[in-house]
Amino acid sequence: MKKDLNKSAGIKLFISRVVVYGILIFLSFLCLFFFYLMFVNASRSNAQLQAGFTLIPGGNALKNFVNAWHDTNISIPIGMKNSFIVASLSAILTSYFSALTAYGTYVYDFRFKKVIHLFILAIMMIPSQVSAVGFIQLAFKYHLTNKLWMLIIPSIAAPSVYFYMRQYLEATLPLEMVEAARIDGSNEFKIFNQIVLPIMKPAIAVQMIFSFVGSWNNYFMPALLLNDIQKKTVPVMIATLRSADFTKFDMGKVYMLMVMAILPVMVIYVILSKSIIKGVTSGSVKG
Amino acid sequence: MDKTLKSSERKSISYAKWGYIFIIPFFIVYAIFTLYPQILTIYNSFFEYYRDGLNIIGPNFVGLGNYVKLFTPNLSGYIPIVKYTINTVILWFMGAVPQFIIAMLLALFFTSTRLNIKGQQFFKTVIYMPNLIMASAFSMLFFAMFSMVGPVNQIILSSGWADQPIDFLAMKITVRSLIALMNFLMWFGNTTILLMAGIQGIDESLFESARLDGSSSTQVFFHITMPLLMPIFIYVFITSMIGGIQMFDVPQVLTNGIGTPNNTSMTLIMYLNTFLGISKNYGMAGAVSVLLFIITAILSIFVFKTIRKK
Amino acid sequence: MKKLLSAILAVLMIVSLAACTKPVEPDKPAEEGKVFNLWTWNDEFWGFLVKYYADEKVDDFTVKKGDVTIKRTTYVSDNMAYQDALDAALLAQSTAAADDKVDMFLAEADYIIKYTNSDVTADVKAMGVTDFSNTYQYTVQAASDANGVVKGVSFQCCPSALIYRRSIAKAVLGTDDPTEVQSKLDSWAKFDAVAADAKAAGYYMIATPMDTYRVFSNNVSSAWVEGGKLNFDARISEWMDHAEKYVAEGYAANASGVWDAEKTNEMFATGKSMCFFGPAWYFNFCMGNAQDPEKGCFGDWAICKGPEAHFWGGTWMLAASGTDNPTMVADIMNTFINNADVCEKLVRNEAQFSNNQIINNKLAADTSYGNDFLGGQNDVTVFAELAKDIRFEHITPYDQGCNEGLQKYFQEFLKGEVTKDTAIANFKDYIKTAYPSVTVE
Repeated sequence: MKKDLNKSAGIKLFISRVVVYGILIFLSFLCLFFFYLMFVNASRSNAQLQAGFTLIPGGNALKNFVNAWHDTNISIPIGMKNSFIVASLSAILTSYFSALTAYGTYVYDFRFKKVIHLFILAIMMIPSQVSAVGFIQLAFKYHLTNKLWMLIIPSIAAPSVYFYMRQYLEATLPLEMVEAARIDGSNEFKIFNQIVLPIMKPAIAVQMIFSFVGSWNNYFMPALLLNDIQKKTVPVMIATLRSADFTKFDMGKVYMLMVMAILPVMVIYVILSKSIIKGVTSGSVKG
Repeated sequence: MDKTLKSSERKSISYAKWGYIFIIPFFIVYAIFTLYPQILTIYNSFFEYYRDGLNIIGPNFVGLGNYVKLFTPNLSGYIPIVKYTINTVILWFMGAVPQFIIAMLLALFFTSTRLNIKGQQFFKTVIYMPNLIMASAFSMLFFAMFSMVGPVNQIILSSGWADQPIDFLAMKITVRSLIALMNFLMWFGNTTILLMAGIQGIDESLFESARLDGSSSTQVFFHITMPLLMPIFIYVFITSMIGGIQMFDVPQVLTNGIGTPNNTSMTLIMYLNTFLGISKNYGMAGAVSVLLFIITAILSIFVFKTIRKK
Repeated sequence: MKKLLSAILAVLMIVSLAACTKPVEPDKPAEEGKVFNLWTWNDEFWGFLVKYYADEKVDDFTVKKGDVTIKRTTYVSDNMAYQDALDAALLAQSTAAADDKVDMFLAEADYIIKYTNSDVTADVKAMGVTDFSNTYQYTVQAASDANGVVKGVSFQCCPSALIYRRSIAKAVLGTDDPTEVQSKLDSWAKFDAVAADAKAAGYYMIATPMDTYRVFSNNVSSAWVEGGKLNFDARISEWMDHAEKYVAEGYAANASGVWDAEKTNEMFATGKSMCFFGPAWYFNFCMGNAQDPEKGCFGDWAICKGPEAHFWGGTWMLAASGTDNPTMVADIMNTFINNADVCEKLVRNEAQFSNNQIINNKLAADTSYGNDFLGGQNDVTVFAELAKDIRFEHITPYDQGCNEGLQKYFQEFLKGEVTKDTAIANFKDYIKTAYPSVTVE
């Protein structure tokens, strides 16, 4: 009797495992299929693409790459350079200054400390689009469109990164450590840069990755701010592929441009996926 | 007691200025690049202010004129802002329902000691990946895949499922479904990981004792997991909703900014974006932004409440 | 160190004082800028400038001519992004630094009037472009303001022809000879009749009705905006009926957009569409699929006038007010309209139809000249004839939004997603949002 029960439970477990793995494999397939097709199509010529569908890569990847790289209407190399500048500087600024701000409200006692902390939490949910109208108006007024730093500097004030850093500090930084450093005669800046920052390394790394990816992919603001082909970032260029124009008849090139837009982040992800996924959980404040 | 309090007070006074120094960059940048533009946005919404060719019209004070205009039915007989808000909610909802159901299931699978899923790291890595993909490129990819001459139609034709290509990008149901599918793919992995963390945070002994009582897994789910997960679930759900209200990249690129067909995939932010085009209509765009602000503020209050509970 | 510094300062002061006190020589032209800013929406004209004007190419965006650096600033044209950015730059022109000022910019027929009828463009005659005798009259008229002041020139003339597949014409009409084909397609009534024949023979008359749009829209007798109100010309309504009919009857392969892959795929050898419409630049830029070495049909094409003479597009160079390089502005303009050598190269090497009548007429009469893509046909002969009938009238600054918008929204009706009335209402609502100053009823 008991054996039978065990057996039927075993069968049940087996069946549910099959179903679960089936679902997982299906979803993984769904996630990978379109990207796989993108890579395949990026390796085929326009004529091959028109002729029909296949899952086997063609031999035109290099030619498509050369065509995409040298297309002076899109200028993807410039876009990648611009995106890289914006994304990496934003990542550095946002993580450093968020850590600094979080440290400021956590370690020090001053009159408006609580109010300030609550204020930052309150503004965290305001969508960036709400300030877009005024931002664009000012940019036009003071001739600041097509300036990359207009996308970089605002990342100093990132409420959600602040929130994450603050939580991390609360969990990891004993105040006694700061006290001890003071007794040693270090000044406050030195304490932050030489003692606190190293402790926050994991948090900073995670936020730098998310911030880098976030600004690499950002489209709304750059699309409004950047029009000059030499100042555009990759997403703005990719979006112009969709718009009506005569330069897009070569679909092999179009797929290759998409690969070039997506690949850098994919490479980062493959290398760092473990810590990125960990970061998702701990930074559970991201929209 | 009195003495130590005093000494710590003195200490905090002497260091207080550093607190201000450290938070000042944040606030200066916030004030210049976010707060001031926000105030300007709201201010603009009370003015007629746009460009007509090379002439700037306004700013002329019109009171609530822009808001009245915003809620006036257009020539097609509907109130644009209402229709686009409903569109946005529908598009979000179509993606969010499967997103949360699947994510909940996966979170249960991954945390189930009975199932003991192997290769979790691999599956998590794969399902989270779309979240990091550039939304505009993802959307462009879908456009190319599902266009009349794209690979999906090639598959359909060559396999004989249909003798005419399907115009996925012209029909309301398919356009909306594609947008929902993209949003689903981009977000279900993220939700899975968040809900998983929530389940893992539940005291293991509760499950243990339930199992000893002979509760079925369905009972455990409804009586233990779900109630205890509720705050996190609501938090993730509402933040997803706030994200959904801001939906832009995917429908913008897929429909080339016009929300085909018949404006049924035009979202709030796309509508905002049309005012910021050639007409640089700061007045109307300001009014749309204020509305967007109000909607998210209401939703955020819910988030706050759940955070507080947590 | 300090001494050296003060010495340098002293020298500098003396030099600058000397510069200030130097009497102004009125007959000597003022020193011109070393940076020349050209605004474009793609790299078409830029390519010609690099080949036929510049001395040395620095990179994709910079060339040198003498000691002047010519820089290109490029914005995409779609959704009016180019106009949008250009407007901002021109409005800021007076406060911009000399080297940042726009010197010359390109404009399309759809919105050129917005700039010519404004102070942002300058009289080019005063800069030294005085000889327009070789150019086509409409190109000068298009670049002039209401008082007849010329603000720019075009390097091309854009009569648009009917471009047909020879093999399909043979199957449908029994001939591929341009003169005979023309005689069978010289009115819309005949065109419609042949469309039915084409369908019977298993072909499509056109790839998409968006292709015939310009034939109608550039032959209107009233403007898009009349007296501040949105206005539908009879020809626009006629096109809408034509488009509806061609899609319903199956005369058009599909209802795709002018630049969609769905349409350009019809240009492969496997395509079943007989007629396309376009000017000389169309072969170069828009028929890549037809020129594909594997799947294309190079040489299987020819052109004729078609039902109506019309133009499509065209790029003008306009002189920006406040330019610090007036001599170079004039020099570039003169090069592309009056330099016989350059104009001839534009025709021979770039498949352009130049804006120089003497060169065009010379090549039109040259029996040895032929375009291989068109099976050896001399396209210049056809275009030279068509150019005589171009009407450039009833232009408004709102035309790009109206033309693009109508096609986008009407497409939804053609695809069967909305009713005709809804499509038109959606278009009107779009215009209302895009141009708040236009009254829409």
